[in-house]
Amino acid sequence: MKNFSNQTKGLSDRAIAWLFVTPTIILLLAVNIYPLIYAIGMSFTNFYANKPGMEIKFVGLKNYIKILNKEDIWETMQATAHFMFWTLLLQALIGLGLALLLNKKFKGNEILTTIIVLPMMLSPAVVAVFWTYIYQPQSGIFNYIINFFYDFGEFTMIGDVQLAPWSIVLVDTWMWTPFTMLICLAGLKSIPNYLYEAAEVDRANKFQQFLHITLPSVLPFLLLALLFRGIENFKMFDLVVELTGGGPGSTTEVASINLKREAFEKWRTGYSSAFAVIMFVTIFGLGNIWVKVMNKIKDK
Amino acid sequence: MKLFSKLVALAACSLISFSSLSAAERYITLGWAAWDPANALVELSKDFTKETGIEMRYEFVPWPNFADRMLNELNSGGKTFDVLIGDSQWIGGGAVYGHYVKLNDFFDKEGITMDDFFAPTVYAYSTWPKGTPNYYALPAMGDALAWAYRKDWFAKQELQKAFQDKHGYPLSVPTTWDQLYNVCSFFQGRVIDGKKRYGAAINTERGSEGITMGVTAALYAWGFQYQNPNKPYDMEGYVNSDRAIEALEFYKKIYKECTPPGHSDAYMEANLDAYKSGQVAMQMNWYAFWPGVNKDPDVGGGKSGFFANPDQKAKGATLGGQGMSVVSYSDKKDLALQYIKWFAKPEVQAKWWSLGGYSCHKDVLNDPGFVDSQVYAQGFLDSMGKVKDFWQEPTFVELMLAMQKRVHDYVVGDKGTAKQAMDKLVEDWTETFEADGKL
Repeated sequence: MKNFSNQTKGLSDRAIAWLFVTPTIILLLAVNIYPLIYAIGMSFTNFYANKPGMEIKFVGLKNYIKILNKEDIWETMQATAHFMFWTLLLQALIGLGLALLLNKKFKGNEILTTIIVLPMMLSPAVVAVFWTYIYQPQSGIFNYIINFFYDFGEFTMIGDVQLAPWSIVLVDTWMWTPFTMLICLAGLKSIPNYLYEAAEVDRANKFQQFLHITLPSVLPFLLLALLFRGIENFKMFDLVVELTGGGPGSTTEVASINLKREAFEKWRTGYSSAFAVIMFVTIFGLGNIWVKVMNKIKDK
Repeated sequence: MKLFSKLVALAACSLISFSSLSAAERYITLGWAAWDPANALVELSKDFTKETGIEMRYEFVPWPNFADRMLNELNSGGKTFDVLIGDSQWIGGGAVYGHYVKLNDFFDKEGITMDDFFAPTVYAYSTWPKGTPNYYALPAMGDALAWAYRKDWFAKQELQKAFQDKHGYPLSVPTTWDQLYNVCSFFQGRVIDGKKRYGAAINTERGSEGITMGVTAALYAWGFQYQNPNKPYDMEGYVNSDRAIEALEFYKKIYKECTPPGHSDAYMEANLDAYKSGQVAMQMNWYAFWPGVNKDPDVGGGKSGFFANPDQKAKGATLGGQGMSVVSYSDKKDLALQYIKWFAKPEVQAKWWSLGGYSCHKDVLNDPGFVDSQVYAQGFLDSMGKVKDFWQEPTFVELMLAMQKRVHDYVVGDKGTAKQAMDKLVEDWTETFEADGKL
């Protein structure tokens, strides 16, 4: 310890800061930045990782043009957009609702919170596998419950073109609403009580209190939760692969599944690198817009 | 003297440790899919270890991950496997990219001749370029897509009568796809022994090769051709011919009208489950599974019958099965070749068949007792006489995934028409062959 203090005695605060930060920067450069630059480089080539002897040619923007003009890619983007829109909407509404409920003091509050939070602690692959059993048309409990209330007869959630997109929305919502709820709950807990007391003095009713105190206070938290969920769901892979495999047909083939097939099954490395770059730019752009919106709301 | 004794003891110890090390090094690793025949091979290979002292180690990968695992291993020049029993479609890539050892010299040296093996299996599992005498594998496991049916249900008097009344001919093994549809639709939703049953479990899987293998069973029966026989890679008018479109529409009709609910992503295991649990009257599957079905406590013991893929406008069956290759990156190629030499022996091939493996050796298949040796033996011979395989090009994965997408989109995903699906398939395959410099 003494030796270390002697050695660092002559170092400035700035140098010590660099000493601590440098390993992280090196790691970041090696693990994130270098592969990113390498992938960008590959995206301009015809490289196939499974063809060792093949001559690698520079193809310019050909891969990008091909991707952006490919109908199949836009279909996967549509599937991704559908999945993102509905999961975020449902998770926002249900998550906020649950947070409001659990913010009240009642008996069993803590146990209920624990139970609600359980799904997000499970592995997405495990969740997907047991939901395939739940959705099983002949023996699954989902069809039994639905048919208990109204007899739809035999139907299949995963195998039906109309229902399959909703089957993944439902499972993701079940799994990740607790996350939104927890963050909203943290926001609700941070609202000082005196604001409500002052509002009551001003004879504001419960709805007005919600609209003018609760919602503005909790909104930045909610948007932050949705930012995390949005990024996650844009690159959603495991849950959908295990649940529907992207089917029926390509109905639930979200962009990341298509990317994986191109990159690690067809081994079109150059082409899939271009696709990965497009996905990265998209999510980076959308994320930045979202953060700007968040900051504006916070400033208000 | 004391020193001398010590030295002798030391030398003895070194010798013992050296020989035990050598024994530990005398093993080879064989890679294959995790399924019933793999267990039979483990049993069979005990004789090899007994004869040669070479220990056998195995890595059996479940079918959905089989191609991914093995092809990644080969592409990365991995040394995990010394012997690989790879799918027939890998032979092109194995040869062109140098993953497999060319076996011609070895066969010549050891007196192994491909004339001893059933010609269609040699063509499919061993040769590249196709049909040339360049061998990269020994035919190891013959297989084709076929059908199993509930013989006990077919024999029921009331069902016989109902079928006869409806179709005007007896309920029996279908010999055409039209008859197959009649039988499937007859059983669909029918209550037998107090339970609701369905027509057939067919391949619909999207992820690997399932639906392609199923759809090609229909396509071949309609006389499907991958390309112009006189102009390689010329696919327009062949892949999307009227017959191909008709066959694809027919397959969709069976999927829509004759399968159990939720049978939208099914392949080997799912079809077996549906059949063994008594949900369906028939299942499409590989011969490799018939020994298991035949012994099954619920549907075996004479309750099941087996038949080759029905014909329609032509004869055809989807080829399965694998060849046995030596991985060129292996450090133990000599031991691996010893295993192949042993496996090629007629007596080993005979035992292979008796344990549940499907030998391709003529001594086994031409044996007068072969047809009666198992209930599915005749079907196997019939099928192997009319098999056709998918592309075996080095780019077969791309070709396969394109077909998986196009036919799944149409059959299960209700997207577009059969013509559009096959037209798009021609576009995809053309793009792949262009990128590969074939067009």
